[in-house]
Amino acid sequence: MNFEYSEKDENFRIEVREWLKATLPHYLKEKVKKYQRLTKEDYELFMNNLSKKGWLAWHWPEEYGGTGWNAIEKHIFEEEIVKASAPRIVPFGVNMLGPVLIEFGSEEQKNYYLPRILNNEDWWAQGYSEPGAGSDLASLKTTAIDKGDHYLVNGQKTWTTLGHHADMIFCLVKTDLNIKPQLGISFLLIDMKSPGVEVKPIITLDGEHEVNEVWFTDVKVPKKNLVGKENEGWTYAKYLLTFERTGIAGVPNSKSALNHLKMVSRKSMKNGKPLIDDPIFSSEVAELEIDLLAMEIFNLRTVSAAAEGKAPGMESSLLKIKGTLVRQKTTELLRKALGPQALPYLPEQFDEGWNEMPIGPEYAGPIAKQYFNMRKISIYGGSNEIQKNIVAKASFGL
Amino acid sequence: MDFSLSEERKMLQETVGRFFENNYKDIKKRGEYLKMTDGFSREFWKESSNLGVINGLVSPAFGGLGGSGEDICIIFELVGKSLCIEPFLSSGLLSSTILSSLNNPKTDLINQIIEGKLLMSFAHMEMNNRYEDHFIETKAKLEKETWKLNGSKSFVINGDSADKVIISARIEGKVNDKKGIGLFLVDNNNINNRPYNTIDGYRSTEMSFENINGELLCKDNQALKCIIKTNSAGALALSAEAVGIMQVCFDLTLDYLKTRKQFGKSIGAFQSIQHRMVDMMLEIEQVRSAVMLASSTFESNPTIRDKNVSAAKNLVGRVGKLIAEESIQLHGGIAMTWEYSVAHYAKRLIMIDHLMGDADYHRDRFKLLSSI
Ligand SMILES: Cc1cc2nc3c(=O)[nH]c(=O)nc-3n(C[C@H](O)[C@H](O)[C@H](O)COP(=O)(O)OP(=O)(O)OC[C@H]3O[C@@H](n4cnc5c(N)ncnc54)[C@H](O)[C@@H]3O)c2cc1C
Repeated sequence: MNFEYSEKDENFRIEVREWLKATLPHYLKEKVKKYQRLTKEDYELFMNNLSKKGWLAWHWPEEYGGTGWNAIEKHIFEEEIVKASAPRIVPFGVNMLGPVLIEFGSEEQKNYYLPRILNNEDWWAQGYSEPGAGSDLASLKTTAIDKGDHYLVNGQKTWTTLGHHADMIFCLVKTDLNIKPQLGISFLLIDMKSPGVEVKPIITLDGEHEVNEVWFTDVKVPKKNLVGKENEGWTYAKYLLTFERTGIAGVPNSKSALNHLKMVSRKSMKNGKPLIDDPIFSSEVAELEIDLLAMEIFNLRTVSAAAEGKAPGMESSLLKIKGTLVRQKTTELLRKALGPQALPYLPEQFDEGWNEMPIGPEYAGPIAKQYFNMRKISIYGGSNEIQKNIVAKASFGL
Repeated sequence: MDFSLSEERKMLQETVGRFFENNYKDIKKRGEYLKMTDGFSREFWKESSNLGVINGLVSPAFGGLGGSGEDICIIFELVGKSLCIEPFLSSGLLSSTILSSLNNPKTDLINQIIEGKLLMSFAHMEMNNRYEDHFIETKAKLEKETWKLNGSKSFVINGDSADKVIISARIEGKVNDKKGIGLFLVDNNNINNRPYNTIDGYRSTEMSFENINGELLCKDNQALKCIIKTNSAGALALSAEAVGIMQVCFDLTLDYLKTRKQFGKSIGAFQSIQHRMVDMMLEIEQVRSAVMLASSTFESNPTIRDKNVSAAKNLVGRVGKLIAEESIQLHGGIAMTWEYSVAHYAKRLIMIDHLMGDADYHRDRFKLLSSI
């Protein structure tokens, strides 16, 4: 065992860092740091840069345009983009759909869609959840009826993250209503500009527009947009979910949040002294750091094992649970660190170019909002309860 | 011992409860009230006064009909159940507590508050004050027989709409000294207000002032005692409010668990979920018990009063987090929406821990008062 980064690793880190420094515009960095609302163009700017550099699909196999990086390099890369305050890579096309197409897509689909994802030409959304089908995804009701050369799609998806920007959406639909639910599901690619597609915003508890309802009324979808075989979509859907989950551990995000927490607790005062000098508060910070330290190694162990080509297994569920709890804890301690300074909420503070005086220190503005927003991460990507069911079922032989 | 409410208090509870519910039926109402100029509904405030709700927060000695720990808790639990944003805390309780604790109580002002004619706020917190009773940077100096105030006050709930403001200021000594503090009555017209909404949907304001006139209400030991008592009254009221909120969160969650179906059955049928509901239930009973104790000893000597208030508020902070987070988690995605009320209850419950002392503050104070 050796837990040190090699010189090659360190050089790689410097390369990534330098590239980010050279290409990430100052204004965008500032927006991300201040938790300001990012526009579609903000995300695209960063993703286009990555694409030009050949780093957008960094975890794909090399033959499809991936980087060939090993697990450690991937980890370094993820860490550096968070450290640099870059926008997050919108995951739906490159992280979720990409691997599914590579594994199950037709040659035609691979030839058409993979380069478009690599060049960041389409904005993809994930159309899994429905009002009646959350944890029990297989109970979904959106139907796709075979009409010869096309499917006719009717139904409703919900919680569609950034669906208001999307050009395309991959959906789970029912193609056979008469067999066991899991067996009648297909994986369909739908153009958001098709007649009959309607997007309605859902405002979340922090007042933001991030998720949507997507309605389908008699939407015609060409047969060639079916991925893999009809009625076998469930297999592809589950394959995709394991990719969705590993990212959710969010080790780099928690690490940067921990640093932020230390900064805030040095600046926050308690009885005229920095809060970090309070033995109870600093102990909480220390325990969070210990959790994170262990989780980083756990995560690296898992990705290294998965680097042999296998999709990550049960460990991804464990990491998803722990990762979300640790990340939520960082937002909780940040909120606590602020004391009463967590109360003010100026929605306009999160608009680009806002340059009024903040109330209290500038870093205080987004913290409570962020705490509430981060409640989502233990709900989505397969809720933490569902992850526990998966692990118990798969590994205990009870 | 007697753990039940008297007939009169039960009546108070029923009438006020019905009135609040009728006015706050829909969570959208709260948003509409917040958008009004004052950040709450003047009409609702006036009706509350007519119904005797504000009266219930003030002792008969000063023209009220209540004012005991129990009365305060009955009313604030109902405030919590409906998530009312009217100035029950700032005007109704905090200001009247100070005005009634003076050597020469300001009964005329208290009566105007009760009648809904006068709005007041207690401006004690400052940007660098983390709930302490005596950490005060704002300065007061005597100039030719008049007191002049200089400084700024933060997070003053409903301070923007107040007619008069009570400001804590330092007459002498260092920022953290217990001595040398005064309480001053100030006309809000002389204060610069920067109003804003809080994350839990309340109106608050940042105040700043230069050389404004203040009327000295009390100073030194009396002022400090008054601040401590007022902050304890506030912490007790917020604890009771939290009990109301927790109960609503629990009820909404249980309801949802019964109706939401996944995997062919209601999600409440899963035993792992039931266990979590039981945990929530027992913790709420713990909080309710601590709040009852604090309310019944609120008229006792300050040490017992403050120790029991701190116990209650510490539990509220810890359990509030559990209830808010579990209510959201057990609902799933629906609880993440603005549209559905549970999110608003959860936000208020969490932010109550950022007002009048958080769980850490009250744990420390409990340690001091019980000589641990
Ligand atoms: C901000 C946000 C963004 C999202 N983005 C997307 C997106 O882009 N695309 C998409 O398709 N979906 C998205 N989702 C949806 C997400 O995947 C679902 O919310 C999630 O699957 C949970 O479903 P649900 O909300 O219907 O909750 P439910 O399934 O109704 O669950 C409610 C509660 O019951 C628990 N529960 C359910 N079944 C069991 C069981 N068997 N045992 C124990 N506990 C159980 C759950 O864990 C949860 O606590 C998003 C959700 C959110 C909140």
